Amino acid sequence: MASKNSLMSWIDRRLPVTENLERHLTKHPVPSKVNFFYLFGALLMVVFMIQVITGIWLMMFYTNTEEGAFASVEYIMRDVEYGWLMRYMHSTGASAFFFLMYFHMFRGLLYGSYQKPKELVWLFGCFLLFLLMAEGFLGYVLPWGQMSYWAANVILSLFGAIPFIGESLQVWIQGDYVLSGATLSRFFALHVVVVPLLMIALVVFHIFALHEVGAGNPEGVDIEKYRDKTGMPLDGKPFHPYKTFGALPAIGVFFIVFFAIVYYAPTGGGYFIEKPNFEEANFLKTPEHIAPVWYYAPFYSILRAVTFGIPFLGITSKFLGFIIFAASIAILFIVPWLDRSKVQSIRYKGIFSKIAMIMFATSFITLGYLGTKPVNEIRTLIAQICTIFYFLPFILMPIYTKYEKTLEVPDRL
Amino acid sequence: MKKLIFLAFFISFFGYSAGENKCGELEKCFSFDSSVHDRDSLQRGLGIYKNYCSSCHTLRYLRWNRLQRDLDIPETVLIDDLISNENIKTSDFVTFGLPEISPIGAPDLTLRTRVRGDDWIYTYLQTFYQDTSQATGSNNLVYPGTAMAHVLIGLQGTQELDSNGKLIQLSKGALDPEEFDSAMRDLVNFLAYASEPARIERERNGIYVILFFVVFTAVMWLLYREYK
Repeated sequence: MASKNSLMSWIDRRLPVTENLERHLTKHPVPSKVNFFYLFGALLMVVFMIQVITGIWLMMFYTNTEEGAFASVEYIMRDVEYGWLMRYMHSTGASAFFFLMYFHMFRGLLYGSYQKPKELVWLFGCFLLFLLMAEGFLGYVLPWGQMSYWAANVILSLFGAIPFIGESLQVWIQGDYVLSGATLSRFFALHVVVVPLLMIALVVFHIFALHEVGAGNPEGVDIEKYRDKTGMPLDGKPFHPYKTFGALPAIGVFFIVFFAIVYYAPTGGGYFIEKPNFEEANFLKTPEHIAPVWYYAPFYSILRAVTFGIPFLGITSKFLGFIIFAASIAILFIVPWLDRSKVQSIRYKGIFSKIAMIMFATSFITLGYLGTKPVNEIRTLIAQICTIFYFLPFILMPIYTKYEKTLEVPDRL
Repeated sequence: MKKLIFLAFFISFFGYSAGENKCGELEKCFSFDSSVHDRDSLQRGLGIYKNYCSSCHTLRYLRWNRLQRDLDIPETVLIDDLISNENIKTSDFVTFGLPEISPIGAPDLTLRTRVRGDDWIYTYLQTFYQDTSQATGSNNLVYPGTAMAHVLIGLQGTQELDSNGKLIQLSKGALDPEEFDSAMRDLVNFLAYASEPARIERERNGIYVILFFVVFTAVMWLLYREYK
């Protein structure tokens, strides 16, 4: 590992820079053939950086008080040089984050990116989804608009629905008997410090764990099997420059779409920034229709689909909804132990796995659509059916993956 | 097949439409998309705003000097004709001396087009009609029971609902229907500008940012080809 450069060797004796650069970049082997689904990880890193940088910028001008929050956002939009750009990049970035995250995770489900020995990579990823949802929720409260206030009220009241401890738990989280300035300032602290720090730590774990077990590929072929004399897998290429340069055009395309939205449709037709949020929070006036931003819509739909409780156990419909809503995210965590298939990729799995994936994706999108609409009887019924279809692919996974007929996985990529 | 699924996914994504389309008693609002790039229209809109809106409504997030810069208003016109109050500085907000909370409940209009939408405001302003059961003597199709009087009656003339619930013109105002329509377009354009002054710069410069990334992508594509 000795470097010819004397400065580098001086540093390397004290800090293993060259060794780690080689380990994680220039000599880190990645599969030579992957498809576009494998670009979302890199794009997520880009979006994460956008969020951190624009977030710091916004934090410099934002006021985290009940009296000042709303006006400070307008101050950023009007009086701060390029403040509007920072804000729109941050709000569009939040939507982009979820969009890419959903594709990134769907890729994982399709190509078995959670299977042994990648369980931890998947688990850290699921934790990141959970943290991202928390981060998005906390951040949405900060502009202190009507939708910030009332959407937060809906979510916080879920904690209040927990039997026995619910009410005191809700007050403890809010820091007040109602959602107020006390809640706003603690949400600010959580949004800008606690959750982002946890996310950075988890991203590091996610990537270190990935580099330990090696990246997957759409074929589910183990590239470590055949190596050349230097130890590089025959179906592998060094991460840098092959994959880094491979990601750059994708990052370019992403930025074209991203800035097209930032500059020409920053509110996303009311789905990225909702209309009622341009009105300051008013605890005397409930908006006619409380809709979540699009990226929470599927989960919100699941929450609303539960219209019945279990009275003899003292479980209200609201609490049961909360449990099922939590389960819809929790179930993702145990996917590595639900899948009993001998093969990784959907390409070699049987027909039932394919049907299950289509079922899952369709119900997720339908739930998302329904989540943004006001409820009526038909929509509730469809949401209930879709909720079942959302869970079924996972609940039945141990059975169909074990018994379905799989195809032979080739030796080489 | 795969492409078809993705296509279906994207179409379903864009098929989402915000809430329901209903516009008060109307099936749909009159369609109108504001433009903030016609400076003359914005100036005319400001004129209508000052004459007809400013005695009740504020614009408390918009500053006079921002207005001056974006609408190209000469300093003398701004200070003498528009502000016409020596206690108000050009860096103050456009409140016309009204208190922060209106005693008659008139909302601040700075962000109103963003809350309601351009088309809602545009339709609202056009659909006042005579209704003696209301305290103000007029009612509105978009916002039934509105507390706002038909302040534009002098320009629009009086309207009435016929037995089918359609608006009919009773008497002529100072403007004929086309002129009134164009005046309302100016006013909503101005309000849309007030809700987001940065929109002028945003919509003007966005194309250069996008073009930059088109070139960036092309260069990066060539780099990628070298290392494929």
